[in-house]
Amino acid sequence: MKRTSMKVLHAIASLKVAIVLLSLIAIYIVIGTLLPQHSAPEWYLERYPALGSLIISLSLDSAYGSPIFIVLIALFAINLTTCTVLSLKGQWRQMDSNYYPSFKEDEFTIDIEDQDTVHTFLKRKRFRVERGGDALRAGKFRWGVLGATITHIGLLVLFVGGTIGNMTASEDVVNLLPGNEKRFEEEGFLIRLEDFDMTFDDKGAVKQYISTVTVIDDDGTETTRELWVNNPLHHKGIGMYQASFGWTGNLRVTDTASGEIQAEGLLRSGRTYFHQSSHLTIYLYGYYPEMAIGHDQQPVSLSNREIDPHYAVVLYEFGNPVGSYIIAPGEAIPYKDLEITFTHAVAYTGLLVRSDPSYPVVLAGFLIILLGMFVSFYCYPRFIHFSSGTLRTASRRNGWVFHHSVRSALERTQTRKNKED
Amino acid sequence: MDKFQNIENITFTIAFILYMVSAITHLFLVTKLAKKVEPIAILTALAGLVLHTAAMVARTAGANRLPFSNQYEFALSFAWGIVLSFLILYRIYRFGAIGAFVMPLAILVMGYASLQSKAVRPLMPALQSHWLTFHVGTAILSYGAFALACGISIIYLIDAKRTGDHRILKDPEVSDMLTYRVIVFGLLMLTVVIISGAIWAQKAWSRYWAWDPKETWSLITWIIYAIYLHLRLRRNWRGKSAAWFSIIGFISVLFTFVGVNILLPSIHSYAT
Repeated sequence: MKRTSMKVLHAIASLKVAIVLLSLIAIYIVIGTLLPQHSAPEWYLERYPALGSLIISLSLDSAYGSPIFIVLIALFAINLTTCTVLSLKGQWRQMDSNYYPSFKEDEFTIDIEDQDTVHTFLKRKRFRVERGGDALRAGKFRWGVLGATITHIGLLVLFVGGTIGNMTASEDVVNLLPGNEKRFEEEGFLIRLEDFDMTFDDKGAVKQYISTVTVIDDDGTETTRELWVNNPLHHKGIGMYQASFGWTGNLRVTDTASGEIQAEGLLRSGRTYFHQSSHLTIYLYGYYPEMAIGHDQQPVSLSNREIDPHYAVVLYEFGNPVGSYIIAPGEAIPYKDLEITFTHAVAYTGLLVRSDPSYPVVLAGFLIILLGMFVSFYCYPRFIHFSSGTLRTASRRNGWVFHHSVRSALERTQTRKNKED
Repeated sequence: MDKFQNIENITFTIAFILYMVSAITHLFLVTKLAKKVEPIAILTALAGLVLHTAAMVARTAGANRLPFSNQYEFALSFAWGIVLSFLILYRIYRFGAIGAFVMPLAILVMGYASLQSKAVRPLMPALQSHWLTFHVGTAILSYGAFALACGISIIYLIDAKRTGDHRILKDPEVSDMLTYRVIVFGLLMLTVVIISGAIWAQKAWSRYWAWDPKETWSLITWIIYAIYLHLRLRRNWRGKSAAWFSIIGFISVLFTFVGVNILLPSIHSYAT
């Protein structure tokens, strides 16, 4: 019974299973990069008539969140865990100071007569040397055998972090105009946007987007900070990232005869305002800080610098379009007994607000993987045997390179010794 | 055109010519048409690298930053990484013949660079980070190492059909082990590239991983080389199969570098 269960465990932990799973994962993610993701099912059926239903049934339209992909990752995690646990016993045995691998008779040998040179070399290279008559045995980095295990543990920590993140992370986009506030009820604080600024280089490209934000805790503590792309703000487990921006135009609806302002407020590009008394809908199609006319005769903005600003506006009455206009700031659109103007534009900031408690776990996973790979590749166990004028090297990982480096180092040691003599 | 751009253009062109001379000389070397040309092949590669470095310094001075931010600049640095890796390997092991297969790769990447726009553009906000230097710098080392491994693997496949003195490297075991050694370095660097990219993305976009095509293809490349190492270490997988795997890995590297930018929409699209 025990033998059968061990057989099953070894089968689960086998390299063959790992390679098959890794290959399937790789194929799945290749498909995910080639196939447009998260479109409507109808789109796949129309675009790929022969494969559309297969794409949907295998959830290839959302490859990285699909049950098949999650099962593949879970199976790989099980394979990795089992393999790591089962290898530990053998690795522990190889770390013992009495362990030596078998040295091949005719491979990786160096003829050298002087035992002292070999001994000096081994000591200088910090090998642990054992003498037995006229023979020497030496080993180094025995603990390096754990490199692969450390890497596997790092990968598992990464999977745990990713899973925690998928289950607990939350995300929202908050658009704020200067003076606007956003409250975080559970965490007990609010943020207020003091200012949003864009800086430009000589050619008009945006150099940076900067939001000045005041964080006000429920106990009244206030802290003001600037945040920009690559410089997020973290407070009480919430990260705030400079993610986007947009424009609003200050809309003013004035009675032509009396000069009375009937309505005034900021209207975002792409949004409408309904002026009830005249059944008029004002649609701000777009704001163009540096306007030009594109190839398709549509307005475009050459940059976000307010060099030649214009507004594109469409008016609707009872749902029917009654006119479209391109106007400069302060320029009025006369409509019946009203004048419609946009006096100035104000930029708003788009902050991505994210809470992800898994990130420290993921970061730990990354560091463990790097450590494991470094140990595995550069601190692999090395062994040397010397007797009767023949030195043999052995290393499971990097036999030829280790042999080459020992040969070169011995030659250098011999040369140095000859000079000293 | 400012003086830095002039210097960059001149040094780039001369470096390109020197690399071609080096590649041709290396071909003479491996085809045994001329046996004593190794010093010329290596010296022209070295001189090309010096001028290539000068082109990168001029670019750095002209743009006020390291040349790491678009396809032209990355290709310029990638080719530099390939030649540097080759010369370091030559310094250690003295296998000049590898240049016959590595220098053409460098020429190919330089040729690709020359087709890209050389205009110096300011860094967009997302790229204004210290992580850029580290992330792209390690990518250059990693890609350079994989190119080198690909070159040595080609030598292995050619040598596998030959015997004795007809071989390019006398012992195929040596080219096999060198490929392994270079891939190990490349994979470690690729891991640093992926991890530094993830940490940077967390800082810039709030997510360490977003399944962006560029990062996903880096992961695919990582998986290919990880499979190579496991098969080699656990199954003693050597010889032709390992050499083919190394070449497939480099094709994946090239697709990550060029193919993704051309074919797949990505948040790395500024790297064009």
